[in-house]
Amino acid sequence: MQEACLTQTSSMNLRPYLLNLLFLLFAVLLSLVIGSVFIPPAALWQVLLGNTSTEPYKTFAFIVWNIRLPRTALITLAGAALGGSGAAYQGLFRNPLADPYLIGVASGAGLGAVAAMTIQWPYNYWGLMAIPMAAFVAGMLTVLVVYWLARMGNTVPTTNLILAGVAVSSFATALTSFLMLQSTGEVRRALGWLLGGISFSGWDAVLAMLPYILLSLGVLLFCGHALNLLQFGDEQAQQMGLPVNRARMIILVSASLATAGAVAFAGIIGFIGLVAPHVVRLIWGVDYRRILPLSILTGAAALLLADVLARVVLSPQELPVGLVTALVGAPFFLWVLRRAKNQGHW
Amino acid sequence: MFRKLTIALLAWVFVLSACGPAALPPAPTPLSVASATPASIRLTDGLGRTVVLSHPAQRIVSMAPSNTEILFAIGAGAQVAGRDMFSDYPEAAKSLPDIGGSMGQFSMEQIVALKPDLVLAAELNTPEQVQAMEQLGLTVYYLKNPTNLEGLYTNLETVGLLSGQDAKAAALAQSLKARVAAVDARIATVTNKPSVFYELDSTDPAKPYTAGPGSYVDLLIARAGGTNVGAALKGQWAQMSLEQLVVANPHFILLGDAAYGATPASLNTRPGWETLSAIRQARVLVFDDNTVSRPGPRLVDGLEALAKILHPELFK
Repeated sequence: MQEACLTQTSSMNLRPYLLNLLFLLFAVLLSLVIGSVFIPPAALWQVLLGNTSTEPYKTFAFIVWNIRLPRTALITLAGAALGGSGAAYQGLFRNPLADPYLIGVASGAGLGAVAAMTIQWPYNYWGLMAIPMAAFVAGMLTVLVVYWLARMGNTVPTTNLILAGVAVSSFATALTSFLMLQSTGEVRRALGWLLGGISFSGWDAVLAMLPYILLSLGVLLFCGHALNLLQFGDEQAQQMGLPVNRARMIILVSASLATAGAVAFAGIIGFIGLVAPHVVRLIWGVDYRRILPLSILTGAAALLLADVLARVVLSPQELPVGLVTALVGAPFFLWVLRRAKNQGHW
Repeated sequence: MFRKLTIALLAWVFVLSACGPAALPPAPTPLSVASATPASIRLTDGLGRTVVLSHPAQRIVSMAPSNTEILFAIGAGAQVAGRDMFSDYPEAAKSLPDIGGSMGQFSMEQIVALKPDLVLAAELNTPEQVQAMEQLGLTVYYLKNPTNLEGLYTNLETVGLLSGQDAKAAALAQSLKARVAAVDARIATVTNKPSVFYELDSTDPAKPYTAGPGSYVDLLIARAGGTNVGAALKGQWAQMSLEQLVVANPHFILLGDAAYGATPASLNTRPGWETLSAIRQARVLVFDDNTVSRPGPRLVDGLEALAKILHPELFK
């Protein structure tokens, strides 16, 4: 792995990282400040100062620290995972249309989640974790099945991966729809999940997804150089000393792991994994050593902003955040692409 | 390589499970038996959770229209502090603070800000939501849907206990029982059981949705002396092909989707429907779906309305 995925030291330009970090901090702050209950700026200031012994500051403090903070953490992790794995997939498949769901993680996870929802689980920690666990395992199994189907001898051509991924995804989606049509009570719950509604609050979900996302994104951060080499094509990358098959597998598994972790707890959230890497690439160039970390930061910030919108547009109604990312993300993406086209590069 | 990946995956599942229990939340607000006063209320809810209240709830948030209707019907309307967005009955409920509920998403912030001493959840809500509220220190009672009218009386009494309106709840249950018994008595003699097609949605007129077995509509049509043509289908929201509908040729068509724009006249324009005798003989009626879809006291209104439609001769 050290050889497959290693970063070559290069002259570090800190400016993009600082700017993106500031953007993320701004989004985190916004996510803590804005919600369906309006907290006046003066009151919020008191809450941040810790003057919370009297009402209504006590309630405001409770809302900020016990509802908004864990949710902000969950959204940050999910957005980071989707942004990072989106960049990795785009680099891996050398395809600007690739997103983290390309080879079936989401449809597999959806099938797992909906299948688990048809069972009456006991009301306890494990019963409540059954659905995200099923989503996670089914998402990863789907990727493994796709990988196995796409294998030709010792190599796994990316075209095969995409084709097998599309086929397996369609199959899983069809099964999911079938299960939903068969069920009576679970449809609403399943629909909310598939639209990317956050059903979890509190720290349980954050703690459960943290190890996967930290580990997988950590590995991906070391794969920038490998992804750069892969852009030249497999043969050339091999000649430049990259163990192509192994590097590809490491990237694929890490990116899928991050995606499965995000999807299991936050539902199926579209567009972040597609848009974040594109925006980063347009602004900061095509070096994957830079695209990966910046996509992670941008993905997290973008999903946070989408979630803020989801909470306030129809307040006190909360929209599933996946709906907002699609509604806002698609036109935004087109705008970004048009601008890029006008400047002479897609 | 494939096997390695599988092993790695299993290892990760193990890690997930290993760090699971550590993440268990601190026990929610300690409401132990010892701290409960003799007058405290102790009940087991629909999720098997033990819910303890030290005194009848005075600030109740209702998470479902049926719960709101029950609370108002048993005289606890003044104790309702908030309600979900679909709670539109009775009129007084509409002016209460809204806690959301579109696409199953509720605003936990609003609920907390209302400072309820009881959140009355229903089967519309997910166990995840119950857990989330529990972790926020709220007292939540999950009221399971009744499977028959007898279960409705039990639910009324449960909510009566929780809100301290047990006497009124018992009185309401008694009067509902009497009304149902009156319908039962009149229906007991009928021998003809007219068939009913209850329309829930016909966005696609070639395969409209109808109330399937186990639904309240199905239950109430049978109790009102009719035959639900949807009873033979599968699932509570069941899709019926136009072919099956033509063969069943129901005596009545009830438009439960009238609130969404279906009118008796619009049925004439649906291709293939003109053969149905209910349409040719004008036995298509608008029906208030809220009286037969929400597991609250208005189910009895729905039963009476159905009985009058099916057997007008008995209710002169």
